[in-house]
Amino acid sequence: MTVTDTCLHPYPEGNSSTRRMALGAAALGFDSIVVPDAQYREYYGVRIIPAILIAEPNPRVVSGLVRTNREERALVLVNAGENGFNRAILNLKGIHILRHIHKTRKNSFDHVSARLAAERGIAVDIDLYPVIHSTGLSRQRVLRRYHDLITLFERYRFPLTMSSNAYSILDLRSVEEICLLSELFNMEEEDVHAALGTVGSLMNTEGPVTVIS
Amino acid sequence: MKALPPTLRRKKRYILATIDPPWIDLDPRELYYVLVEAVTSLYGDISAAAINLVVISTGANYVIVRYTRGYDVAVRVALSTVLALGEQRIALHAKVTSGTLHALRQKLPSKPDMEPDPPMMEFKGRTYCARRYHGQKVDLLEKGIKSQELLYITQDDLEES
Repeated sequence: MTVTDTCLHPYPEGNSSTRRMALGAAALGFDSIVVPDAQYREYYGVRIIPAILIAEPNPRVVSGLVRTNREERALVLVNAGENGFNRAILNLKGIHILRHIHKTRKNSFDHVSARLAAERGIAVDIDLYPVIHSTGLSRQRVLRRYHDLITLFERYRFPLTMSSNAYSILDLRSVEEICLLSELFNMEEEDVHAALGTVGSLMNTEGPVTVIS
Repeated sequence: MKALPPTLRRKKRYILATIDPPWIDLDPRELYYVLVEAVTSLYGDISAAAINLVVISTGANYVIVRYTRGYDVAVRVALSTVLALGEQRIALHAKVTSGTLHALRQKLPSKPDMEPDPPMMEFKGRTYCARRYHGQKVDLLEKGIKSQELLYITQDDLEES
C-alpha cells in the first residue's frame, strides 16, 4: 500500500526543492508525494506523482481543463466551491480529488455531495496546513468543518486523502504526527492510514469490464 | 523541607524531539515559551496547567521536554504545531517517549557534521551561504542583511544547476 502526501509545493512556489521534499518525505514515512505541474520521477525511493490543480469557479471551465489535460495522466485536484459547483464537479469525469473543503461554506459539501463522491470514487482532501498553521477562531472553524466531514465520511465512506500542503520541508509532518493531528477532528487511525493510501488506488483505477468473447 | 513520598509525587514522562533545521541558535527559554503557547493554543489554560510542560535540555538538533504522565498525545500534537522560534522557522518531530531521562539520553540524535565556516556559492544567479549535512542535504541562506531567502535543496540539485 502506498503512503502519499497529496499536495506539496516545491521550489519556486515554496522554498524547498522537489528532491529535498522527497528526502524529507522518505524520512517521515512516505513513499510517494503529489506535486503540481511535475513529471513522473523517483527520488530517494519516493515516487513523484504529477498533479493538475484547478481553481476555477465555473464547472464548464473545469470540464474543459480536465479534457485538455487527459493525456498527461496526472492527478486532477479541484478546489471546492459552493454547493452547486461541488455537485457539478462530482458529476464530471476525470476528476480525482476535491480539495479545500475547509475554505467553503458550512453546507457546501452535504450528504448529497458525500453520496455522489462515494458513488463516483472521487476523494475529498483533508488539508492539514490550516490545522497546523492557524490558531484561535480560524483553527476552530477548520476543525469544526473537518469534524462535519468525518461525520459524513462515517456514513457514506467516500474516499479521503491527506495532504500537508507543504511549502517547505519544515511543513512536512510524519505519518504518526498526521494520525495524532487527525484525532483533533475525531478521525480514526485506520481511516487515516486508508486515506494516505487513497492516491495509489486513484491512480490505478480499473476501467469498465469488457467482454472479449 | 521533607520531600514528598514517591506515591504522592506527580508522575512524569519525557519526550525527545528533533529540531529542523539543525543549525539554528536555540534559546531554551524562548523554546519553552513557544511550546507552552502551542499547548495553550490547542488545549487551553486548564489542560496546559495539568500538562505542566518543562524544557529539560536542548542540544544542537534536539530538545527534551517533561510533562505529566497521561498527556502523551496532547504533547506530541502540540509539538507538531510549533512553527517558529522568534523569526526562525523550525519544525519539531517527537521521536521517543520515556519514563526516565536516562533512557532518552541513550537515544540522542547524532550531531550533524557541518563545516564551521560554511562556504559561499552561487545558485540561480544569487549568492548563498551553504550549509551541508547528512550527506545530501544543503541549506542555502542568501547573503545579505534584510529578508534573506532560505532554500532547502540537495547536493544533486546543486550539481544539476
